[in-house]
Amino acid sequence: MTQEGELTILNGIYMDVKQGDSIAILGPSGSGKSTLLGLLAALDTPTSGEILLDGQALSGLNEEQKAALRKQKVSFIFQSFMLVDTLTALENVMLPAELAGVANAREKAENMLERVGLSHRLTHLPKQLSGGEQQRVAIARAFICEPKVLFADEPTGNLDSANGDKIADMLFALNQESDTTLVLVTHDLELAKRCKRQLVMDNGHLSEPNAEQSTTEHNTTKAANEEAC
Amino acid sequence: MELQLAWRLFKRELMQGQLLLIVLAITLAVLSVSGLARVSERLQVAINGEAANFIAADRIIDSPVELDTNVLELAESLDIAHVTNMTFNSMVYAGDNFQLVTIKAVADGYPLRGEIELSSGVTQALPKTGEAWYENRLGGLLGYPTTLELGNTELNLSAEISRLPDAGFNPFASSPVLLMRLDDVATTGIIQPGSRVNYIYQFAGEAAALTEFETQAKPLLNNSQRWTDVQSGDSPIASAVKRAERFLLLASLLGIALACAAIGIAAQRYCQRHYDVVAMLKTFGASSKQIRTLFGIHLMLVTLVGIVLGLIGGLLLDLGINQFLPAEIAAYSPPYSRPLLLGVSTGLISAFMFSAYPLMRLLAIPPLRVLQRQLEGLQFGMWLHLLLSLCAMALLGYLYSRSIALTMTVVLAVLLLGVLLSILGFAMIRLGHSVGMKTTNPLQLALAGLRRRARQNAVQLVGFSSALVLLLTILALRQDLLNEWQKQLPEDAPNYFLVNIAPEDTKPLNDFLDSNKIIATDIYPVIRGRLTHINDEELISRREEKDGIEGRVGISRELNLTYRETLPPNNEITSGTFNQADDEVSVEAEVAERLGLSLNDTMTFNIDNQSFSVKVTSFRQVQWETLQPNFFMIFKPKALEPFSYTSMASFHLNDEDLKANGSDLTANAVVLQLIQQFPTISVIDVGAMVGQLRQIIEQVSLSLSLVLALVLLASALVLIAQTEAGMATRQRELAVLRTFGASGWLLRSATGLEFALLGAIAGILAVIVAEFALYMLKTQVFELVVYMHWPWWGISPLAGAAVVAFLGMWRCRQLLNQSCSDLLKAG
Repeated sequence: MTQEGELTILNGIYMDVKQGDSIAILGPSGSGKSTLLGLLAALDTPTSGEILLDGQALSGLNEEQKAALRKQKVSFIFQSFMLVDTLTALENVMLPAELAGVANAREKAENMLERVGLSHRLTHLPKQLSGGEQQRVAIARAFICEPKVLFADEPTGNLDSANGDKIADMLFALNQESDTTLVLVTHDLELAKRCKRQLVMDNGHLSEPNAEQSTTEHNTTKAANEEAC
Repeated sequence: MELQLAWRLFKRELMQGQLLLIVLAITLAVLSVSGLARVSERLQVAINGEAANFIAADRIIDSPVELDTNVLELAESLDIAHVTNMTFNSMVYAGDNFQLVTIKAVADGYPLRGEIELSSGVTQALPKTGEAWYENRLGGLLGYPTTLELGNTELNLSAEISRLPDAGFNPFASSPVLLMRLDDVATTGIIQPGSRVNYIYQFAGEAAALTEFETQAKPLLNNSQRWTDVQSGDSPIASAVKRAERFLLLASLLGIALACAAIGIAAQRYCQRHYDVVAMLKTFGASSKQIRTLFGIHLMLVTLVGIVLGLIGGLLLDLGINQFLPAEIAAYSPPYSRPLLLGVSTGLISAFMFSAYPLMRLLAIPPLRVLQRQLEGLQFGMWLHLLLSLCAMALLGYLYSRSIALTMTVVLAVLLLGVLLSILGFAMIRLGHSVGMKTTNPLQLALAGLRRRARQNAVQLVGFSSALVLLLTILALRQDLLNEWQKQLPEDAPNYFLVNIAPEDTKPLNDFLDSNKIIATDIYPVIRGRLTHINDEELISRREEKDGIEGRVGISRELNLTYRETLPPNNEITSGTFNQADDEVSVEAEVAERLGLSLNDTMTFNIDNQSFSVKVTSFRQVQWETLQPNFFMIFKPKALEPFSYTSMASFHLNDEDLKANGSDLTANAVVLQLIQQFPTISVIDVGAMVGQLRQIIEQVSLSLSLVLALVLLASALVLIAQTEAGMATRQRELAVLRTFGASGWLLRSATGLEFALLGAIAGILAVIVAEFALYMLKTQVFELVVYMHWPWWGISPLAGAAVVAFLGMWRCRQLLNQSCSDLLKAG
């Protein structure tokens, strides 16, 4: 609700994302991309309609159950990194694992940071890291619990193109290694092209301009898939 | 896991200084409460101890008959030391000389407080059996004999007394004192059934036991038995102690209220800082319980550090203050239990009750905030926050003061202050509404800034001005109290009293004083007379009333009456007009109330078997603590001139004054000359008592300064916390202005000016409210003279502007020096 009355942000959306898929949601500012991401990630509740995450309907879940679902199956990467600025890189990466009660959280976090090339930066605080390094910490944090689905909101939006490319490479590589489903919201066409599917949000409506082509590609070989991503 | 996470978060935030404000606020509250509780307890004991020296005990029961044994047994069961003394008047004979004396018969243990000063020095002993010690006046009157007769016995005069600890302050005491053993009284055979004696039971012990004793013993006393403590007696320091106690309590409560305000603001900031962390934790699937536990433990750790630091601070404060106290007071160590308990409960109550609502808001932060940064969860419940904060303040106030009335007054005053300042502050900020939004002139930019953040600024203004109001109030009260005491006991307060001045000695005495350049008070004639009738109704004594005789109770002893044309200094007419006609009398207000007098009543006096009547035409307030000659009844000269009289006067004399006046003599030598030249005049040296009074006042002043310092600290913390609270929005605005090309100079000037304007408005509001608060406090609580503090009207806004601008600029210095991109990233 707004002062002017009821405002419809998303309308008539049907989409189906398969396990291991990578999809990019493109669209101008205010088109509803982030709202859709919030709904898909069980952070928000739609006024009507149904969302199934890994076969489970979100509409029947209360906040606690949604939190539990996110803990088990979902992870995130944000444009503004969203690291806890008082914790070190290592402690930031450990955080989701500790929340999920993973026993060897520290070891796993060290391992993840090594994979993103930050094993020498374990005890550094976010403000002591460059933007690119902070996003690498965020990627390590996102993958530590081996999520089924990874939601990324403009992951390269705050970075220059060189750093943005590195981050994208890292993101897609890890995504593929872990067979994680990637849902990515971006303005960046180049980044979007690296996903298997590209959806376009416009004024609350979702369309898939290259639907046929991407479906075909999706159904061809895995090698081709890897190339596309 | 939550414990581990909470500890890690706490450790990192503490090391990075993020928790500084909230820890400091809790520390200050705990430090104030625990430190002040202990220091004021110690000072209280010191003050009461000094005051107790005036009555030679902590409590006294005066009784015309022997006290019931169960009262003494009660004292013993409570571990209270007691000693029984007896006073009565009798004639003593030395050869051909005789004199009426006041016999003070004391038992072992006397005095329970203070010391007996002999002319040879201070002593711990008492006269031996068969011996008596005499007041120096008596020696002169009887021609310095070695023995004297009292009833059936002869007593050896073995020492001369300079001062008894419970001599009180009565320069009219016409009969000198003879000190002897209580055991010897029986052998004199003077005390027979029906003899008029006064039993004085003195008690001394721990404060708590004394309170318990008072509660249980008072109901056991009858009408003729009088309970006295250091504050209820005619002790000249009673009113000073009472005022100081009220001030200490009030200032401490206000200090606590300020520290609480600082905690409230800091707690809000603490929670706001964690909004993103909570949103992020929820996004990664943390359950409500996990987050609740995590922040519960986190806040507990913060509180714990605040409490520990506060307790250590309180202890250091106490130790520091001790360095300035006289050794015997410093040696007294009140139990640690109360300050400790008070400190811990203050930390817990303030941290949790002030954080409750901000914490509720924090826990309600929706995970969606990670995508939509403006989301803040709970948008209602400010009333709950206010209610919880007031409850916390009330609870703390009560714990500290143990007085519901005082607590409610302070809480209501704080609430009223908040409402008043909010309204005034909001109105003042809205006044600048018509000014444009140009961004080239720092002043206009500053005004625009004030207006844009009107609501936030109004809140900040309440914080700034509350701190200033309380500071100004405490500052003014402290100064007024000190001035008042100084006025009562100026450097030249009389330290010698002259009584029994014969009329023919008046002129030579004046000449003697003049030749020694001694400035004495006016010489007052003293005529002893008895009040017999009021409005023709015969008066009865308390004893007769007790024996069942009906009638109006008067004053059973003889009164010292005086006459003069004008109202004496230090006297103030409370109603009526000072004597106009010869048959009029001016009566001291308290005695008038005791006698149930009204203006125009007729009083009949009997002097030398002659009765005469006068009309009551005025009541006077007398400052007994000024050590000037004071009288219950003052007549016109014509009314008393027919009667024989002696006179009295007082003056100040010390070696330095004499030296300054070019005299080679010491004060003692001059007094000796005076005694030799005027053998019939009695000289009473009250120098020791004046010294004692000064010491008490110095101790009280110290405690007042200490409280002031703590209130100052609390105010500074509120100011800092309040500045801190607006930083996030300010940062975003600076980023935008910077991006659009505003120069560093413009931003710095505008920010400085905005803070300065805010400080100046707070200063003006503070002085308005403080004048009002002072008016109320001075008239209702402290009985002090009300006047406007005109210099403040200039100083307060200027100081407010300077301090707030400094704090604001200091806090913003990093933001103002940051590059545009840094600001944008951080914002």
